[in-house]
Amino acid sequence: MTICQFFLQGRCRFGDRCWNEHPRGGGRSGPPAPGGGGWGASNHRYTNVIQPSTFKSNAWGGSKDHGRGFFGSSDFGSLGSGSRNADFSRNRFSALMTSQNIDDSYKDEEEKLLEGIVKDMEIWESSGQWMFSSYSPMKEKLNISGFPDFSPEELHLEYYNCRANNNIQNYINSVQQLVKQWKNRLLELKTLNASTRAALLSELKNAVSQPLPSFGFGGQQTSSFGLSSFPVNSSSNSASNFSFKTSSSLVSASSGNTPAFGSSSAGRDPPVFGAMSSPSVSRSVGFGSQSAPSAASFSFKTSETTSGLGTSGFSGFGSSSAVNSSSTTPLTAFGAFNAAVAASPSCSSSTLFGQTASAPGHNVTSAPSPVTNNITSEKLFTLKMELSAEELKQFEAKKFTMGKIPLRPPPLELLNV
Amino acid sequence: MSLFGSTSGFGTGGTSMFGSTTADNHNPMKDIEVTSPPDDSISCLAFSPPTLPGNFLIAGSWANDVRCWEVQDNGQTIPKAQQMHTGPVLDGCWSDDGSKVFTASCDKTAKMWDLNSNQAIQIAQHDAPVKTIHWIKAPNYSCVMTGSWDKTLKFWDTRSPTPMMTLQLPERCYCADVVHPMAAVATAERGLIVYQLENQPSEFRRIESPLKHQHRCVAIFKDKVNKPTGFALGSIEGRVAIHYINPPNPAKDNFTFKCHRSNGTNTSVPQDIYAVNGIAFHPVHGTLATVGSDGRFSFWDKDARTKLKTSEQLDQPISACCFNHNGNIFAYASSYDWSKGHEFYNPQKKNYIFLRNAAEELKPRNKKYNNVIATTSLNLG
Repeated sequence: MTICQFFLQGRCRFGDRCWNEHPRGGGRSGPPAPGGGGWGASNHRYTNVIQPSTFKSNAWGGSKDHGRGFFGSSDFGSLGSGSRNADFSRNRFSALMTSQNIDDSYKDEEEKLLEGIVKDMEIWESSGQWMFSSYSPMKEKLNISGFPDFSPEELHLEYYNCRANNNIQNYINSVQQLVKQWKNRLLELKTLNASTRAALLSELKNAVSQPLPSFGFGGQQTSSFGLSSFPVNSSSNSASNFSFKTSSSLVSASSGNTPAFGSSSAGRDPPVFGAMSSPSVSRSVGFGSQSAPSAASFSFKTSETTSGLGTSGFSGFGSSSAVNSSSTTPLTAFGAFNAAVAASPSCSSSTLFGQTASAPGHNVTSAPSPVTNNITSEKLFTLKMELSAEELKQFEAKKFTMGKIPLRPPPLELLNV
Repeated sequence: MSLFGSTSGFGTGGTSMFGSTTADNHNPMKDIEVTSPPDDSISCLAFSPPTLPGNFLIAGSWANDVRCWEVQDNGQTIPKAQQMHTGPVLDGCWSDDGSKVFTASCDKTAKMWDLNSNQAIQIAQHDAPVKTIHWIKAPNYSCVMTGSWDKTLKFWDTRSPTPMMTLQLPERCYCADVVHPMAAVATAERGLIVYQLENQPSEFRRIESPLKHQHRCVAIFKDKVNKPTGFALGSIEGRVAIHYINPPNPAKDNFTFKCHRSNGTNTSVPQDIYAVNGIAFHPVHGTLATVGSDGRFSFWDKDARTKLKTSEQLDQPISACCFNHNGNIFAYASSYDWSKGHEFYNPQKKNYIFLRNAAEELKPRNKKYNNVIATTSLNLG
């Protein structure tokens, strides 16, 4: 096949449907993969290449402006990247694969997923789109942790409440905090290092939620918050908002809609869980964490010292009238993600602009590190006898096999000094 | 200049009586400006149902008020009345007989406004701001459905202070739409649930979101026999997903398309991506309109999978849109939607509501190329 010149320049508008060859590795920077790899049909469901010449001027707007009246090829969020073409032809013979090959192709899928994620992060960063949004790399996948959803209206209301209480600085601080967290998480995903990668992969694969101890908060109503069990089914439980999850993915993955926040490793904020005394804080955040969670609390109150664990419920930006400066509603808690120690739980919760609009936010950036370090030092090595045979094999092998990387740290004995 | 009528020319009239002067780009499309627009960002627009003669428009705003205008055939808009909440109004809708307007507000309540007596009473209470409100008219019951950030969906008989029914949502309700007997609710964390409303509202299906980012707006569309058959879902990432509930071939029939982005085809330069703030379906043609944070509106034909028109760029985001009952008028509101945070909020900036003749521009395209579409369609849905 002839090599597609447009693809090499990164602007082939037929994408996968193109008749010409799209060599993998060429022009990868270009093609507008909507959502990057993995989005859309899985490869082996691809049917024939559609003849591009049938694209007349109108119906598909094939002729003119690509972006214009065109729900065009790449627009269909399907594959987009030309490199897919090569993959596609490889996977067409998936039926003939042996288990070894399947392993490899499975690995490819993961690779593609990760590539897609990196690409999405780049687009997200450069496009100026709304930052505080959840994200998932592929349709069936769950939300990736570390990206809590906040709608513009919620921020808008929060601003108005703060303005009514003459506390705009609070709002500004809180938003800056959120932005920082977002940036950190974005950076983390963009430059996937080994630990983030492992955590992400296990998160994406793990559909089963592990019961997490949650620190409920919610001043009055959240009955579901108990320290012992994670309110897995967030749908039935109005209170559980944010959950800490370990490296596993979202709780109640069945619904696929539960917010789960893995924490961002960088820019952790110290766990601040103030006591929720304010009655107005209704919704609360559930935290599950296994070790001491380090979460930053995003509180809008000035006076409160953030000590202890507190999270305030998100129930939105309540009416400003109910809130007064004395109420203490610690807002968000950001969990620390012990990236270094994969085994440790990752907890995070997002900031909640709590109801106490009066309280200025805390900028608790400096504190986290000592906390996390403590946690890491506790579990730096796993005992050799504790490891499963599989894990032991992985540690003893020359290289990790993708998909089989142990989540726990290696035993001290196997480390070559 | 006649606004509604097939032969009206639009071109010249359009501009407001304020007279557009210099390089003012607030109305590049030269559409009719509604008089006495709200003083703060407009969150919702709704036209009166066909049962009411004439056209009445209500708009809820962040100035805590909801206003009502009469829109006459010659394009003139007459402010009729307004009601206040104690917090910004997030959504509003009409009852099926056109006598009542329901409004949902950040003050955690919803009110029923009787237009004849100009009295408004509270009919609903939530624990958090009420984001969506819709009137449900079923053969055997009628009620008001409210969706709130307290993660519940409540159904209210307006005569009783307790809800008829409460359904739990997985997360905060961000947007909803009702076309009997179907209701679609999109929540935070990419949640998406469809309800069936016959006999009594019950959850029909939880759907995996076809979009990767935060859901922002949803609108149900109908098939040729006027039955709701699917919905369009918009996200903050300049993308709309068309999703059928029971399509013959989900992989082919469901799709997403990009919209409200800068830079068109030039893929080497990063695009600016804007949120889709509202989606509305033309009641007659079945084509849809989307409005975005980029300050443009676009018309699309989802069956022909093609764009019909994109407007010029307004100097503010377009925060809401709606069609009137017969599809002759397309109303859109130009006001700041907080998409760039508080730094870009200018309380002095005027907010506008524009009215446009929608009879011609939203006619569907020729569907000759259906075969091509079917084969190429990718399952993003």
